[in-house]
Amino acid sequence: MGNVMSASFAPECTELKHEYDNCFNQWYSEKFLKGLSMENECSKQWYAYTTCVEAALVKQGIKPALDEAREEAPFENGGEPTDNSG
Amino acid sequence: MVLWYKNSFLYDNDFETVSLAFFNRYPNPYASHVISIDTVSRECKASGELCTTRLIKKTGKLPRWVKPFLGRISDSWIIERSEVDVKNQVLRTYTRNLDHTRIIQVEEFTIYKYNPVTGKTLASSSVKFSSGFNLAVRSRIEQWSHAKFDENIQRSRMGMAFVMEKLKQHQSLG
Repeated sequence: MGNVMSASFAPECTELKHEYDNCFNQWYSEKFLKGLSMENECSKQWYAYTTCVEAALVKQGIKPALDEAREEAPFENGGEPTDNSG
Repeated sequence: MVLWYKNSFLYDNDFETVSLAFFNRYPNPYASHVISIDTVSRECKASGELCTTRLIKKTGKLPRWVKPFLGRISDSWIIERSEVDVKNQVLRTYTRNLDHTRIIQVEEFTIYKYNPVTGKTLASSSVKFSSGFNLAVRSRIEQWSHAKFDENIQRSRMGMAFVMEKLKQHQSLG
């Protein structure tokens, strides 16, 4: 994806994020999209990155709202809003 | 009052390019308000869909009359959920703001669907604006968000187009 990649909200995780994103992009375009793999082949990079992000998230006030939103199931209706009365 | 906004857009690109661009859409010159984006979970369902949850941090310019309600707040956090169904060449996405939700909540559902006949990918969006404030304030906030949304959706398309062009160059370089 070239040399410009987006940052992590936690500056100390940005480098780990780039390593993970590079691995993901390669796996996504070369394996997943071709139906060759459903396995997460970036587990080493993912573990390092997510450990960093989880630790940084604990210090952010947004964590409870994020955890709550992660429980929602927005695609239950095939990705369409359920209350589509507008 | 709840406002709905719907629209669709046809990308001249295949599903591979559009979905890869979606995951890499930041940074781009049309989204300088996006500070960061982090993946917080990612897994493949038994049925084959790739499910991703990301956390986005944005800095937003707000109209002056909102300031008495918001104080000095200018950053906001967004959750983005997505599902890639590669068998059917469909990408479903959902975003909503995580904070300031008592003032306004913006939820966007977008479905990207590839058409093998035309070789193009159709993006269909439904956006819902809602607010818990009293009616007068609510309608001002909601009308403002609606106007702002037109501008935002244009910019997000230009951003996607920019990223896809970059991906194309990257691929042709091998």
